[in-house]
Amino acid sequence: MSESHETLPVQRAWMGALQKIGTPLISAALAIAIGSFIMWISGYDPLAAYAALFKGAFGGPKQIGDTILRSTPLILTGLAVGYGFRAGLFNIGAEGQLFMGGLAAAFLGVLMVGMPWVVVLPVLIIAAALAGAAWAFVPAILKARIGAHEVITTMMFSYIARYFVSYLVVGPLKSEGMIPQTVELAPEAQLPRIQSLFSEQVLDALPILNLGRAHMGIVVAVVAAVVVWLILKYTTLGYENRAVGFNPWASETAGISVQWTTVKALCISGALAGLGGAVEVMGVHHRIFDQFSSGFGFTGIAVALLAKNHPLGIIPAALMFGALSAGAGTMQLEADVPQKIILIIQALVIFFVAAEEIVLWLVRRRQKEAMSHAG
Amino acid sequence: MLGDIITPDLFAAALRMATPLALAAIGGTICERSGVVNIALEGIMLTGAFFGTATVLATGNPWLGVLVAMLAGMGIASIHAFASINLRSDQVVSGTAINLLALGVTGFLMELWYGHPGTTDPIKVLRPIFGFDSPGGGFLAEVWRWVNGIVFSHTPIVYITIVIAIVAQWAIYHTRWGLRLRALGEHPRAVETVGVNVYRGRWVAVLMSGALAGLAGANLTIEQVGSFTENMTNGRGFIALAANIFGRWTPVGSYLATLLFGFADALQIKLQILRGIIDVPPQVFLALPYILTVVVLAGVMGRAVGPAAVGQPYKKG
Repeated sequence: MSESHETLPVQRAWMGALQKIGTPLISAALAIAIGSFIMWISGYDPLAAYAALFKGAFGGPKQIGDTILRSTPLILTGLAVGYGFRAGLFNIGAEGQLFMGGLAAAFLGVLMVGMPWVVVLPVLIIAAALAGAAWAFVPAILKARIGAHEVITTMMFSYIARYFVSYLVVGPLKSEGMIPQTVELAPEAQLPRIQSLFSEQVLDALPILNLGRAHMGIVVAVVAAVVVWLILKYTTLGYENRAVGFNPWASETAGISVQWTTVKALCISGALAGLGGAVEVMGVHHRIFDQFSSGFGFTGIAVALLAKNHPLGIIPAALMFGALSAGAGTMQLEADVPQKIILIIQALVIFFVAAEEIVLWLVRRRQKEAMSHAG
Repeated sequence: MLGDIITPDLFAAALRMATPLALAAIGGTICERSGVVNIALEGIMLTGAFFGTATVLATGNPWLGVLVAMLAGMGIASIHAFASINLRSDQVVSGTAINLLALGVTGFLMELWYGHPGTTDPIKVLRPIFGFDSPGGGFLAEVWRWVNGIVFSHTPIVYITIVIAIVAQWAIYHTRWGLRLRALGEHPRAVETVGVNVYRGRWVAVLMSGALAGLAGANLTIEQVGSFTENMTNGRGFIALAANIFGRWTPVGSYLATLLFGFADALQIKLQILRGIIDVPPQVFLALPYILTVVVLAGVMGRAVGPAAVGQPYKKG
């Protein structure tokens, strides 16, 4: 008896830590395992597939650069969805806010020709954040004032944003030529590639810095993650956000305006998604077109859930999904496995993180076994 | 010009376009009445559409395709049921996972079975049941042209949907099952107290919504389009949820609400023909159903009150 009393707090601490880091890790592992099983029953070789995937994601500096490239917008959309979740809001339409952010950057970047980059870059980034926030504003007001579910409204707004951009790139903002896209951004409006910051000598000496297409947007994303973390941890804004997410009734009683907090939370979420659009436009495509986002807003949901909405945890979670998407091409090429398997793995991650009970149940059973062996 | 737009065909198209939305919306109604939010309608519909098409491609039998579509819908809905009822996951998050899973599985199987992404080969479709002629000339013939066009021009599932709406309405308000269903969504603890199994009641409701959304997918592919395209549901599941709210969580109300969306959809297709006469970009029309959804939600929310216990996981006492 006395023994079990002594072990209990330790166990509780262990369980707590496990729940924080363990559930996501086990969820990701379970998802990958089931992904392997699906590949196997479909007649593919899962080992070859994951080997090719790993090669495509980390096989060399260029591949690592590709992983960073794809993780960059995912950090921002992950932050967007995660910040909403922390206030109890599900911004399923981050994709639309990302489109509007990208549009703002692509539009202003062309107008601000001839200005120095120290002016252009911050202006574009701020404009994209504002555009994303503005696109989230109507769903936010509808949620706060009359309780219209943000899942439906933000989703509808994301369709509207896509059609809006699709109209602009075939119509008023179309550049010369056959392809429906906007005019290329001036060099001052482009986020430089990481490798372009180093001289030839440095790159020769340290080939790992040849990060291919990876660009400085990753700095924007990481800074955003740290800022969101600080906001949530140390500011009244963040405290109110978490309080409303935790218990809106208690918050209201304690004098926090739930409505106003809801509006702020969804708009900040939209701003972060808008930044995701900006880095994609300014760092990768240097213009906007119909298909410039490969579903970053939706993958952001999986990123946020895997990180349990922790702003700093979102960085490794985004890297995981970035790596999956960077390696998918090589996987299809070398192991012949359809890239869609990545979507399935993504869905399974969401499912397992949401169904924490399964994972905890597995952990508890292991624990029980361990204890019975010890006893 | 107006005569080119306002034709029997316009209203027939509205009925046709409303059908998949209505089936999904009625599924959503039943599911939410039992206390389970079903964001997954979109993915269930897509799953039904795919497996229905695959069955018709393999067997050449459209009705078998309809059946398999419903079973596939129930299959993927059972994942949502297990997660949100037994595991007490967040229902909205579980639904999101299902939507993504449906997108992944249908895309994966598409490449595995047919060797390419995109669209499948065309399939044998279900034809309109009646197919009466409408010979021209005279006032009566004109009346008949309208009646025939609007009422008698449809494929089987369009009629089945109307029957389902009415039967579901009656069942929810006039049977013991319906009484229990409504109680499940309002006060599950009370229902358990009188000896009803809450989990089983909710499971049945989620499976029914799966069958209905699967049928919606079958209607899309086996009656309307005649092939499967990746992500072809295009947000219809979410519009159906909005229609369910607009219809105040009743089957007939949901059906009538989807008629509005169906009409908007039919109108946008008609208006696209007039491009060049009125210079409006097609994207405006394409965005119309989504804009309408937001407007309708904005107009109706605050006054429409959903089931009290919807979205809350239930822990057995």
